[in-house]
Amino acid sequence: MKETSNKYLISAILLGLAFHGTSIFFTLETTYDALIHLFFADHYANSWFEPWNYKWYTGFTVMSYPPLVHQSIAIFSMIGGLKFGLFSVALISIVLFITGVYRFSLLITGHKTAAGYAALLAVFSSSFVETLHVFGQLPSIVGISILMHALPEIYLWLKTGKHWYLMTSLSLIAVTVTSHHVTPIFGMVFFIFPLIGMVIMDVSKEQVETIKAITFKLFLNSFFKLFKRIVSFGLLSLIIIIGCILPYWINSKNNPITQVPIPHGSRDNFLEITSSGLVFFLIPWGILLVLLPYIFYRYYSKRYLFFGLSITILTILGTGGTTPIPRKVLGETAFNILTLDRFTLWASIMSLPILGEFAYRFVQGDLKTLIQSKFGAIYHRIIGGILAGLFVFMTIFTMSLGYFRPSQPQKIKMLPIVNFLNQDDHDKWRFLTLGFGDQMAWLSSQTNAMTVDGNYHSARRLPELTTRPIERLENSKFKGVAGIGSLQQFLTTPEKYNLKYIFSNDKFYDPILYFCGWQRLRQLENGIMVWERLNIPPISSILPKDDVSKWQKILWGIVPLITVLLAFMLNIQALWIKALQTKLKKQPVFLSYKSNYSKFSNTILKTTHAWSIILAISVFYGIYQFYIKNDSQRSPENTLVAYYDALDFKAFETAYNLIDPESNISIAQYMLEVSVTDGLLSSYAKLDAIKTEITNKNDSLATAKVITNWITPLEKINRVDYKSLAKHRGKWYILPEDLDTDLPPDQLYSNNTTSYFNQGRRRITTEQTHHEDVLKQPVLEVLSAKLVKYNKHYAIIGEVQNIDNVPADVFLKGTLYNDNNKELATYNAKYHVKHKLMPKETSSFKINFEGIAWSKTKDSIPKTFNPDEFTPIEFEEQPTKFNIQAAGNVSGSDLYKNIVLSNIEINNKTINGSLFNSGIQEITVPQLLLTYYDENKTMVWVDHLFIKNGIRQQRKQDFEYTFLENDTLKIITDNMENVFVNGLPNKDISNKTVPNRIKNHTNSELQKISNPNFSYIKIETNSYIGNPN
Amino acid sequence: MHLKYTHILFFGLILLSSFTLIKQSETALDIKLLTAQTEFKVGSDIELKFSVSQNAKPLLYCSNSYGSTVIDPIIENNVVKYKIPPNINSKIGIVNWKLIKNNSTMLSGQFHLNPKQEVATMETYIGPPSIEAGGIDFTMLVVIPTDSLDNPLAENTLVTAKHQFLSTEDNEAIFTKNLISYKNIYSQKESGRMLVSSESLTVNSKEFTVTVFPAIPADFTVLAKRPHDYADGNQITIFETSIIKDKQGNIVIDGTYVNFFVTNEKGNVLKTSGTTINGTAIAKMIHPDYETKWTIKAYVEGMAESNTIAIDYKKVIHDFEVDFSKNNRAITIGPLQSFMKQMIPDGLQVKLLVYKNDKLIEALSKTTIDGYVLFNLKSDLFKNDKYNIVIKTAGIEKKYNSKALW
Repeated sequence: MKETSNKYLISAILLGLAFHGTSIFFTLETTYDALIHLFFADHYANSWFEPWNYKWYTGFTVMSYPPLVHQSIAIFSMIGGLKFGLFSVALISIVLFITGVYRFSLLITGHKTAAGYAALLAVFSSSFVETLHVFGQLPSIVGISILMHALPEIYLWLKTGKHWYLMTSLSLIAVTVTSHHVTPIFGMVFFIFPLIGMVIMDVSKEQVETIKAITFKLFLNSFFKLFKRIVSFGLLSLIIIIGCILPYWINSKNNPITQVPIPHGSRDNFLEITSSGLVFFLIPWGILLVLLPYIFYRYYSKRYLFFGLSITILTILGTGGTTPIPRKVLGETAFNILTLDRFTLWASIMSLPILGEFAYRFVQGDLKTLIQSKFGAIYHRIIGGILAGLFVFMTIFTMSLGYFRPSQPQKIKMLPIVNFLNQDDHDKWRFLTLGFGDQMAWLSSQTNAMTVDGNYHSARRLPELTTRPIERLENSKFKGVAGIGSLQQFLTTPEKYNLKYIFSNDKFYDPILYFCGWQRLRQLENGIMVWERLNIPPISSILPKDDVSKWQKILWGIVPLITVLLAFMLNIQALWIKALQTKLKKQPVFLSYKSNYSKFSNTILKTTHAWSIILAISVFYGIYQFYIKNDSQRSPENTLVAYYDALDFKAFETAYNLIDPESNISIAQYMLEVSVTDGLLSSYAKLDAIKTEITNKNDSLATAKVITNWITPLEKINRVDYKSLAKHRGKWYILPEDLDTDLPPDQLYSNNTTSYFNQGRRRITTEQTHHEDVLKQPVLEVLSAKLVKYNKHYAIIGEVQNIDNVPADVFLKGTLYNDNNKELATYNAKYHVKHKLMPKETSSFKINFEGIAWSKTKDSIPKTFNPDEFTPIEFEEQPTKFNIQAAGNVSGSDLYKNIVLSNIEINNKTINGSLFNSGIQEITVPQLLLTYYDENKTMVWVDHLFIKNGIRQQRKQDFEYTFLENDTLKIITDNMENVFVNGLPNKDISNKTVPNRIKNHTNSELQKISNPNFSYIKIETNSYIGNPN
Repeated sequence: MHLKYTHILFFGLILLSSFTLIKQSETALDIKLLTAQTEFKVGSDIELKFSVSQNAKPLLYCSNSYGSTVIDPIIENNVVKYKIPPNINSKIGIVNWKLIKNNSTMLSGQFHLNPKQEVATMETYIGPPSIEAGGIDFTMLVVIPTDSLDNPLAENTLVTAKHQFLSTEDNEAIFTKNLISYKNIYSQKESGRMLVSSESLTVNSKEFTVTVFPAIPADFTVLAKRPHDYADGNQITIFETSIIKDKQGNIVIDGTYVNFFVTNEKGNVLKTSGTTINGTAIAKMIHPDYETKWTIKAYVEGMAESNTIAIDYKKVIHDFEVDFSKNNRAITIGPLQSFMKQMIPDGLQVKLLVYKNDKLIEALSKTTIDGYVLFNLKSDLFKNDKYNIVIKTAGIEKKYNSKALW
């Protein structure tokens, strides 16, 4: 018999290449993972045999991920660049997947047409579309595709015992393991074990008439007959799995993942968090959900029994946290490390052969006959239409997911950033990106500069990162406050990591950058704001690395590609040679186990009908619930939640539509009112939680208490608002709030200020800056400093003055010692200092000593974390001495000082007052620094207050500050012996520049307060200008 | 017999000694330094010549302060020559040499390389680039005249340090010592800009700038300017310092930060600040909205302070009306009128405090529009009951006890 080409398979490949091949250009770069693989590929392209990469996480090893896909991209990149490599490998993976599905389906069904249908459907299957176009998991796709190619070979080895098949199957296993490590391990369990079961069944069947006649005894006999082949295959593949990526296993053993688990949507309860349910359950299953009864029916038939068991386990594991079973089956550790969506992916792929078979039977087989005879031809067509429609809908829906709910920020042009890093030796410092999403990997692959962050969290090394449940610093705002807390530590002590530049694509982080002492450098032409920190030393030219032995590097560098070459020679080459021989080709043995699709089970048809109805009902119920929950004006609660959501996402038109139309506010007026309120709360806050309590409600009116929690980069804000609502024509509306009607006195006014410009290098040269162009460091003086113990934690407080004639950026680093001069802790001043001082200006400061949060108590990470709180460092010994290194650097930015304390009223517990903006810039975040004094006017503590609202020009803003209470305070030492300014002793500087200083000069102007612990207070002001003009 | 033995011993000794002689003539090489000169000018061609008794090729190892090298000989008729390479002969100082053969030193010596007495560049450093006026602070000028091979010139080379400050131009002769010449330039009483250069052997350096900043400020005075003296909570009072100077009379640097403390009659300390321009710092403060007296004093922390001045703010609102309506839940306050009976400018804060049994339940605050303020006491917050209501504005307080809301 001459073999005819399978037209279904050919059209599947062509369709697949045309469909995916064109769409990847629009989707792949915005997926979660693709750019990470690109970064790894860039590593191999530049240093093939050196596994150490300095660019991320202060150095990590690429031996933490199987290299084949990355190395392939790297090889292709030699021809047309990295992205060419990425797309080439993606195209190859598409072909591999479609052909893999075909071969796997052919193995399972033994029916070429059914397998062709399966291949055709696989092209558009939602799980594949999602994995490629939404997740971008190329290695995973390549891994599972090659595994599917391996399955027929394994079957043939076990069945026929021909050594050739052992070789081909092992060669494919080797390729699988070098492209993705998890696939062969779990593939062994979920694909190969059932396959072995199937082979034994087939062997058993040869000895009896029908498959029903197979007894357990017979099965066991067959098993022992095949035992040698099974064991030899098992052992050899184990050797291959371990051997091919041996350095990976060695690395995993040496650097075990001891990180705090990072939350992943696939572990959620899908019924509670419906978005996770959609992405990790509904989409991958797609149309297969309708056919579940058929799939299970087929896989639980005797021949496929073990596949039935396997797919059941996969299905259950794929449900994540919805049921407690996955957690119990996998155990707590594995459950928290694995991403469970892969189980669903495998289950859906395992279902594809059955889907193909179903399609075949439905389109041209016995099912068609059955339906037509039972319900008529029209019904068959309608059902066909519905199924096809659903299938296409799922495909389009999945493809469009990245378009409607982009997982990434807008594509950022990297060239200006790359150019910036190449200029002026900027790449001699580390950088950090904020709000770049996974595009940070693309930036990293284009520059030699290093970042403290990274995008492959399993390889993180710094304890500051591994103790946090965050993937990257870069998107820390989405990781709640644990993320911001982690980011803060990097921003406060950047010199530890040589971190000098931050590229910010998200204005949310601006206040925290400012108050941690960073300053804006400039905006690049792609809109990215560059922030810099002064006084950061450059990275040393020799950096530490964890070296591995040479044989590991060589093995890692050459084995993956050798496995591909071997697999190619054994599988494809051999096919060619065979094809060229005119000898008649023998059919693979599994084709003889074709089931004859003659009589479709009536019960299954009924069950499928019933199941479809149940599914349809639950879908409609879900949609109805969704509608009820989201119909914004159905109830006062909905209206309020919708209103706050709209404000949170700055959808002001949506918010306006919820405002009572009878209040006669035009949208222009509303927009104006909203736009004039700037500040921490209105511009930098993200709504974290909202609770509404309806306090009073009748048919047409309601009042509600709205308790909102907002996360801002600086602190967590809890707010209680009282809102009134009115009902018109069945819809609830919010009554508008009163406005602050304060009128500023002047229409036009002027303000003279001194502004500064530092030329930097005056000569256009790439040489080192000429020595006469280097500015003198401004001289600071630490006026007072002392070590205090406040409740349980230690802090250095004091006062610093810029005694030079130029404005200074102040960098304060404190270190604590015990009696034996052993260093106990070191940290920098964070919020509690004015980082920018004009000539002769003073600022109180406080240096808190923060530990690496939660490093000791891994499991007690607070559920709701306040960015303002910190983990005090735990001291093993008592600190008794301190050292302060103050450094001044000339800075001409952020010198806005026109913030006036215009009124205060004091009672026992609080200070109420108002701030007045007398200048010409709008103050975005005002800050108060409050210094407490005891009855002898000795400074004892420093506190701060961020004011939630901004202050417009010539306007007032009220504030309320509550005094500290019930605290224990102890001054440990006020010995200022070890205070240094720009490396020189503070005392010498003081004696030289201000020899006749009037000590405690403004003590007579301290504010008296009546408080049990404190007698006086001093209020200083600081301000962040969000949009300087 | 005795004699015979003596002879044998004698001849034997002669024989022995002849052997040693032969051996000596085999190993010992007669090498003599022919070059007598030990002082050379840097950069010149230097050849060390040695006479060698045999056809030997010893290597010349030579080292100076920058490094070492080994030189191959050039042999001509029992004379070996060594040409000193440029990396050795272009640096001044002592060059030590050794002739080496078979790991043993044959001969060693040294010669000096002296700088050229010509200046190619003036290597000049000055720092700090800014100093303080007053004659105590100084900047240090370091000049290293160097020859074309980047060698410092000989000791005691004359360097003229020149600087210009205001109307004075100074030249001073300094001499190089230990390779460098330096001069401490002290500031004068005045602040300004000092230009510095230097000259040696008719070659001049480039220009350097040293800024002489004024010294720390001395005491000053402060005054207040305002459009009127009413406490309307709307106009702006400007505090202005006199021109702040240091004790030498230099105007302090622009941007000097001055803190203004304003103490009101209640003893509360308010604060504003300004930075100087041409010595004058200006700070602004919005008028209070109640009658009060302000005492103002300005400080440059730890260095200087102003006199204390006091200004009064007159009451603008003497009384206002309060109207309760809508079950006493709507409270209209106004008209609030200013000193010419005009409506007070929008934005005067009015506070409404609601007490129940002397316990503060709620403090509401609103700002006036066209002289009026309207408060609505919502029924969900204030249940039907009797409350004490206090209204505060412009320093006036009005109390309404046991107001029933229904």
